[in-house]
Amino acid sequence: MKKLRIIAIIFLLSIWSMAGCSNKENVSDNIQTQEQESNKITDMAGNEINLKKTPEKMVVLLPSDVEILYELGADKSIIGVGEYCNYPKEALNKKIIATGDDLNVEQIISLNPDVVVIGEMAQSTDQMKQLKDAGILVAVTNSQNIADTYKAIKLLGQISGKEKEADDLIANMKDSFQELEKKSKGNFEKTIYFEVSPLEFGLWTAGKDTFMQELADMLKVKNIFEDLPGWAEISEEQVLERNPDFIVTTTMSNKDSSPVDEILARNNWENIEAISKKQVFKGDSDMMTRPGPRLVDAAKELYKFIYGE
Amino acid sequence: MKIKAVFLTRFFFISMCLILIMNICVVYGSVDINLWDTGRIVFGAITGKFPSDIPERFIPIVLGVRLPRVLMSGLVGASLSISGAAMQGLLKNPLADGTTIGVSSGASLGAVIAIAFSAKSTLVSGLGTFLMSILFSFASICLILFLAKIIDFTLSTNTVILIGVIYSMFASSITSLITTLADKEIKNIVFWSMGSIAGSTYEEVVLMTVILIICSFVLMRNGVELNAFAIGEENAMHVGVDVRRVKLRIMALVSILIGVSVSISGTIGFVGLVIPHITRIFTGPNHKKLLPISMAIGAGFLMLADMFCRTMFSPIELPIGIITSFIGSILFVFIMIRKNSNKFRG
Repeated sequence: MKKLRIIAIIFLLSIWSMAGCSNKENVSDNIQTQEQESNKITDMAGNEINLKKTPEKMVVLLPSDVEILYELGADKSIIGVGEYCNYPKEALNKKIIATGDDLNVEQIISLNPDVVVIGEMAQSTDQMKQLKDAGILVAVTNSQNIADTYKAIKLLGQISGKEKEADDLIANMKDSFQELEKKSKGNFEKTIYFEVSPLEFGLWTAGKDTFMQELADMLKVKNIFEDLPGWAEISEEQVLERNPDFIVTTTMSNKDSSPVDEILARNNWENIEAISKKQVFKGDSDMMTRPGPRLVDAAKELYKFIYGE
Repeated sequence: MKIKAVFLTRFFFISMCLILIMNICVVYGSVDINLWDTGRIVFGAITGKFPSDIPERFIPIVLGVRLPRVLMSGLVGASLSISGAAMQGLLKNPLADGTTIGVSSGASLGAVIAIAFSAKSTLVSGLGTFLMSILFSFASICLILFLAKIIDFTLSTNTVILIGVIYSMFASSITSLITTLADKEIKNIVFWSMGSIAGSTYEEVVLMTVILIICSFVLMRNGVELNAFAIGEENAMHVGVDVRRVKLRIMALVSILIGVSVSISGTIGFVGLVIPHITRIFTGPNHKKLLPISMAIGAGFLMLADMFCRTMFSPIELPIGIITSFIGSILFVFIMIRKNSNKFRG
């Protein structure tokens, strides 16, 4: 008797699961028909986004993407931003979503946005799936260099229905960069050192494949650590040996001393060209590392610092 | 008389070895400066006149950056090793060490709190980090031993280590909490906590030397008492050791040494654990010999480890904890296997 019951249950279960399968097929059919109506956009991870209409509610997690959308004038549709989005100031008035070590997926779903714009690094595939399962469109941006930044701007323009503004912004940025590059009279004779973490915590610098490297190239100065990939902890003696003409620090200001003064006062650094000529500059870390429209401002500041105009 | 002669030759031999290691560590660095030039720069520092054919930039590299750093790594290595040896004796516990007992994590927590409340981490400009590390490491030792005593009056090896590990996790969790909630600036703590001796200055070296000399002198004066403890606390009491006082004294000294080391260089694992074990192979368990020789070997070990950090992937530097943990854990397993096989044979 018992056996029979078990068989019956298994039978029922298998029927259900088959029904489930066929249901799913129906669903995907539906999606396919819808796809033809909506305009297709490919995000920077290569995924297609089926946007039916301009989204009214967007959650944007990367500070750079928030900056871009504000610049495009699409800020009204942003309802939530990631933790570190501090520019422009108005962004702080939006709902802030925990993005630190762990993305708060629940919080995003509870806001019920049409689109989530997310960074390639910030999310795991599980979290992407959770968002998609909740019926939210996910757009991934991933900018490693200035060329990527243009793509991100284009993508965000397409999503927010501000394509013209995006094209204008890209053209503007390109013009500004070109102008700066033309104006820069150096020929990579002068050298520059970017300091990301101060001496007391161990020196960290930006090597090649960073925006700082790209800015240095644009302004025709040589990054003394261009032989290193990405971000790296480096020996103090190497900085002395490579003797940079300019030092740019992106360390945060301390309450009682500025990072520039701290560098100028360092023991053993007196003979470095940049120190003896007092060519040490406090750069804005956000501006110099975020792939957004403010890279132009960073380049302009750096140009002013190097060429003194 | 004869014993004195043996002692003197040993002392001479060990100092010679240490000076040799120090020289190697000063000569090898991220920037290539050959032996001859390095020697002339150091000699020039003594006479006050530098030969003119040496590039000027080499002088601060050798004298300002490399030398204080080598000295500092030696001092930190010596401090960690002697405190490890003293603790292992005091607690009759071969696994005792700043990191396993949780004292280092406590000291880290103190330092992080001090940094978070904007005391500066450089020693001389503000003693905040420094004092907080010492304070927290002492409080940690007291708390851990107190808890261990409640749970297991005999203070058995396992209980102490277990509580130490748990305390360590507890302290680290608070440290992470502070780091997470802290401002961007304080995120630097992450870099600091990975452990680095970079940026040492002569002022720090002098301070550390004074502390090490005082603490190690008192510790060594308590060598006999430590021998008694190593057999058992009860035994110490029976042979006439003022157990409470000596214990408190040793604990205080150890926490000063560990606290100072952590505030300078972050947590450096395995040195205090492994070096005393290696030393015992040569000296046997007598603390009168064990403590000073541990110090010397620890100093040499950490100087060499730091040299590898500086040179292996030059110009990139490795956090020193990577090297010490890597070599230390392998050595430790080796020592344990050796000990066990001896046990079975004997």
